[in-house]
Amino acid sequence: MEYPDTTWVQAAAYLGAAFSVGFGAIGAALGEGYAAGIAAQSIGKNPGESGNILKNMLIGQAVAESAGIFALVVSMLLAFVVPAEAPLISAYCYLGAGLAMGLGAIGSGMGSGFPAAEACRGIADNPPTSGMLTTNMLIGSAICQTPSIFGMVVAFMLMFIDFGQQPLWPGWAAMLGAGCAVGFGAIGSGVGSGIPAGTSTAGIARQPAAVGSIRTNMLIGSAVSQTPSIFGMVVAFMLIFLDWSHVPAWPTWAGLLGAGLSTGLAAIGPGIGNGFTAGEAAAGIARVPDSSGPVTTTMLIAQGVAQSTVIYGFLVSLIMIFMPPTEYDASMTAWATLLSAGLCMGFGGIGPGIGEGMAGAYAVRRIARDMEVNVLITRVMLVGQAVSESTGIYSLIVSLLLLFVV
Amino acid sequence: MGDLTKIPQWVFEIGGYRLTLNSETLIMSWIVMGILILFAVVATRRISILPGPYQTIAELMVDAFQGLVHDALDEGNRHYFPLIITLFLFLWLSNMLGVIPFLSEPTKDLNTPLAYGILGFFIAHYAGIKTKGFKAYASEYFQPMFFMAPLNIIGELSKVVSISFRLFGNIMGGSIIILVVSHLVYNLVLPPLLNAFFGLFVGTIQAFVFTMLTLVYISVQTK
Repeated sequence: MEYPDTTWVQAAAYLGAAFSVGFGAIGAALGEGYAAGIAAQSIGKNPGESGNILKNMLIGQAVAESAGIFALVVSMLLAFVVPAEAPLISAYCYLGAGLAMGLGAIGSGMGSGFPAAEACRGIADNPPTSGMLTTNMLIGSAICQTPSIFGMVVAFMLMFIDFGQQPLWPGWAAMLGAGCAVGFGAIGSGVGSGIPAGTSTAGIARQPAAVGSIRTNMLIGSAVSQTPSIFGMVVAFMLIFLDWSHVPAWPTWAGLLGAGLSTGLAAIGPGIGNGFTAGEAAAGIARVPDSSGPVTTTMLIAQGVAQSTVIYGFLVSLIMIFMPPTEYDASMTAWATLLSAGLCMGFGGIGPGIGEGMAGAYAVRRIARDMEVNVLITRVMLVGQAVSESTGIYSLIVSLLLLFVV
Repeated sequence: MGDLTKIPQWVFEIGGYRLTLNSETLIMSWIVMGILILFAVVATRRISILPGPYQTIAELMVDAFQGLVHDALDEGNRHYFPLIITLFLFLWLSNMLGVIPFLSEPTKDLNTPLAYGILGFFIAHYAGIKTKGFKAYASEYFQPMFFMAPLNIIGELSKVVSISFRLFGNIMGGSIIILVVSHLVYNLVLPPLLNAFFGLFVGTIQAFVFTMLTLVYISVQTK
């Protein structure tokens, strides 16, 4: 059966709307459920503060809901507003927009649950700090939402910029790849920046006098945890705005899809791992406020090392974006190698990122307790991280072999 | 569903350039500013040791925000306090405005949050350069390693994007949900509850979040 282009574009818009709110609803619901559970537990612990805890839970849940609301906005726009009288490439733009927003909202929703839960727990343990805790919770969960906002920005661009000048082949893969890059890339950073937001809130409940240094550390830690999602957004922009009309359609499309998947998937691990490290740093400073100098330094080193796999993923993406194949080749091996190179680096980057983040987390926790052994612990941490990095390096080598040798 | 995309415009020709203004946003912003100015005049007209009702409200708000600003900023930078409280009051009233029939939130238009996001960005960086000196300010971009500079700059710029889109997304999302659900239930029962949740509750929280983040950005730059 033959359908006109407008039917395809309209169908893709509906599909994108479903992706957006379907995936987007996962995270917010999980985060809010966690906050509600801990709130119930806290009320059991300290029934006298039940009104305060309930109020705080509702505020926290309303902020965690934001990621879901963003997904709903994009979904409604896709379902009712975007034009169907558009070139066929728009179909893929709409699908990409749905993926970018939907996947991008998962992490932020989950992450926002941590500070909300810890604020409820903190109010039960130390009621006089409740104002400070609510403020810190709001700042923490608002920052956690940044990765999902990156997803929303890319989704808006895909929906409302006219990409009529892009060729359908391989432009469609660039649009889907952009959605995957920013969408998957936001998952890790969203969850990751929620962890320091949560532990810093718990820390303020324990040590209200150190609120300044705890909050500063939390802000630095979450900002660094969001770097992986920025890599994802940069790749998405390159895929959307570079001109693909002068490259051979086959097998370049596989490279563009692979470029999006490579950075997007590889960003998940470092995002979560950096969050672990930042979380323990904030908790450590809350325990020993004087340790803030060495703890912050070690945290930054550990986070920098843990980000190496997303940098490998970014490198593979750049190679596929800026060194596209020069000759037309429609054989299966040609596109399979490009796509596998992206998938290999993408999945290979997840584990090392989380593992190295854990190494950093325990090192930072120990340094907060005895600062004198700072140098020794940092050295052991770096050796351990280098070893757990090795699997990421294997993935990079296999990807480069697939790109240049096979 | 036609309301979703309707943008009332004023188009001007000035010196060969075509200016397109969103008339709704402009009118609503001026209404908010008018209410704030009127309130300020009424509250401060007869200041006395025994405060009247308006003066009491104003004192309560000033007190609450003074505490937050004092916690976040050092001695030398507390003169940003009027900016912070004005920002909150403007955004808060803007987000409330949609509850009143025939009025709409100026923050529903991305231009408004983006303008305040850019304003906060420049103020934070100006405060940073003024407090630390340009050299110390610039060297922070090369932390933790020198090749991270491009990413740090993108990270700074992304703060503007995230702070503005967060407010815009929430307010726009709220108004879309109210519009769609009201349409589905023929404007019966649910719309007032939705207005209370998205207009009063989410609107207040997001105005506070925007203000606190601007304050935190200034405090991070000046530390």
